Amino acid sequence: MKIFLNKSLIAWYFILPVLLIHLFVIAIPSISSLALSLTDFRGMGKLNYIGFENFNELFDDRYFVKAVYHNIIWTIAFLTIPVFVALVCAYLLTGIKRGQLFFRLAFFFPYMLASVVNCQIWKYLFSPIYGIGTVLSSFGLDLLTTSPFTTKEYSLFAVAFVDGWHFWGFLVVIYLTGMYQVDSSLYEAADIEGASKYQKFRYITLPMIRPVLVFTIMIITIWSIPVFDYVFILTKGGPAYSSEVIGTYMYSQAFERFNVGYSSAIGTMMFFYVLIIVGLFGVLRRLGWEV
Amino acid sequence: MKKIINSLFVLSFFFSSSAVFAKTQISWWMEARAERDPIVMEKLVNAYNSSQDEIELVIEFTAQEVLGEKLRTALISGGGPDIVRAAGPSFIKEYQMAGMLENLDAYAEQYGWNNKIVPWAYNSGVFDGSLYALPLTYESMIMLYNKTLFAENGWGVPTTLEELEDVASKAKAMDMNVYSYGSTGWQPTHEHLVGIYLNNYAGPENVYKALIGEKEWTDPVFVEAIELLRKHMVDEGYWSGSLENYYAIDWDQFHDAFSARNAAMMTIGTWTFQRTEMNFSSIDDDWGWAPLPSLSSNSPDQNFMLAIGTSIGLNPNSKNKDAAASMLNWLFSNKDVVINLSNALEFAEFNLPLYYEDSDFPADVNPKIKDFLSTFGKVTGEGNYGYCTWAFWPADPGVHIWKDMEVVWAGDISVEDYMADHQKLWDKARDKGTTLSIPNR
Repeated sequence: MKIFLNKSLIAWYFILPVLLIHLFVIAIPSISSLALSLTDFRGMGKLNYIGFENFNELFDDRYFVKAVYHNIIWTIAFLTIPVFVALVCAYLLTGIKRGQLFFRLAFFFPYMLASVVNCQIWKYLFSPIYGIGTVLSSFGLDLLTTSPFTTKEYSLFAVAFVDGWHFWGFLVVIYLTGMYQVDSSLYEAADIEGASKYQKFRYITLPMIRPVLVFTIMIITIWSIPVFDYVFILTKGGPAYSSEVIGTYMYSQAFERFNVGYSSAIGTMMFFYVLIIVGLFGVLRRLGWEV
Repeated sequence: MKKIINSLFVLSFFFSSSAVFAKTQISWWMEARAERDPIVMEKLVNAYNSSQDEIELVIEFTAQEVLGEKLRTALISGGGPDIVRAAGPSFIKEYQMAGMLENLDAYAEQYGWNNKIVPWAYNSGVFDGSLYALPLTYESMIMLYNKTLFAENGWGVPTTLEELEDVASKAKAMDMNVYSYGSTGWQPTHEHLVGIYLNNYAGPENVYKALIGEKEWTDPVFVEAIELLRKHMVDEGYWSGSLENYYAIDWDQFHDAFSARNAAMMTIGTWTFQRTEMNFSSIDDDWGWAPLPSLSSNSPDQNFMLAIGTSIGLNPNSKNKDAAASMLNWLFSNKDVVINLSNALEFAEFNLPLYYEDSDFPADVNPKIKDFLSTFGKVTGEGNYGYCTWAFWPADPGVHIWKDMEVVWAGDISVEDYMADHQKLWDKARDKGTTLSIPNR
């Protein structure tokens, strides 16, 4: 009995319910998915073991390759534009003493809205019937008459823009919190030395918030892989697979074409990708990076 | 005396609460649609439940987007409703292949269903020689046009490619779109158009041969059909003015655009009747319907593409299969109930493919719809019918036909490559045995 009341086990007792939920909701389905990727399962009925056939097919699938490419573009886009804009805005906000809360709320507001609401707003804005284009046309300006969501050259960037628009406010709040942790005496010393605002940002703020910055880079990299909702709601991966990402392609294979085994193979690839990213950050931490 | 009264009281309580008098409850999960559901409750559920004392029909309405997944999960786990529904033969075939549908041969024989349901529709639920599903709604693709607009301009309803292109140029000259249509909200809308061009350019005979494997989809006649569709969609912008607008416009918007004279015509399925009638009821213009024009000499002058929009079967895990079959038989045996229900929905749903006479239709049936129903029956009865993709294509080629159409329209692959990919998927489906029964010609 005493062994069960051991102090070192108490923490485990508290974490046990969460562990059990995780086991049934995440771990078992994930392992099942790994197993299904080696079968020809169609979502119902019998399944046959087919070895690595799904994976062989995957590497020859031009739309999967295209989806992977789009995910890479998506990751790069999110690692640059929203991060840069959020950093600049957060830094500028630190200089505002009155009304700062208003800006913080305004920037964060899109993040609080459901993705469906955000998408519908932008769909209407770009609608060829009710959208901005029709308003501009009435002033003789031939701009945005076609929705960028339906143009193959712009669809991916248009969806990324909308997702970025909702997301960057979240980054602002994180960076702002990081910036408030910076010791103010460093800025005072820089002021005495005559440092410019840019120099203070470059040589004090950025190095001091590096752990926060690296953390956001890690979560953006990981979150960019299973991206689904904005793409699915706005374009469903179209037109012509021009905004297809791995998540929407996996959905299409599983629920439109009933290729659950094949879809599981796509999921397995995503799992290994995320594992590599997490592993990479683990290595960086071991190398002494503040990750 | 007191004892007797007490005993009677106990006995009456026992009998009133006893299962002896309880009705057998049968369940049916149906996709939710706010404006339709009260009609279904009144004209189907209440009508059935009040028609007898033994069985109680309970319909549970679920959001359309999640119904399929919810049903599939329930069936896999051995549960689910007594009546299983799916969006047509290719979907219900998946359930059949997984052993999740009851064989209905015995019920079909008992109730004589093959004599009540028109053969092509009945056969859509026959897999491996046995009946597994019944057709709940039949559909077809048609062309709607603004009757008032056509009369004002002296335009004739196009019946050939030449006439279609003539009306199209006249509509464009008036700064009007040729057709109102769009795919936002339902990407498979493209397959409506692909089906039209395959049937009305290549012709139903050729489509039939390809469906049964006697012809390859790479045949020049199909390539030409899809090339014509590409030309009309991409080069000419027939649908909503441009390919991009077609992608951007949803169901409400293209219906509104049609009634607002932004387009002269609309290519759509018969499920539109209710919405179109509603839109035109508040304006001065009138609408009309016509068969889709013949696009080449391969296609007879007038034909209707066949489709089953909803198929239903029985859950093999159900404890009330007999009761559920009895309820289905009541529905398929009562033309007046069906017409009453379907009429309230402008024949957009619950359009059961039964043998109808003109006298079956009450006086309040919309004359346009009555005209369609009798013309459809006459034309298809003469063997002039084509094949809708969502009813006769297996799942994988069925998705390819609309999903990859966008790639052709984008100019990323040639029509030849598209049809070659399509043929490969058909070959695969034949190997796996996922093809569906095709109505003979």
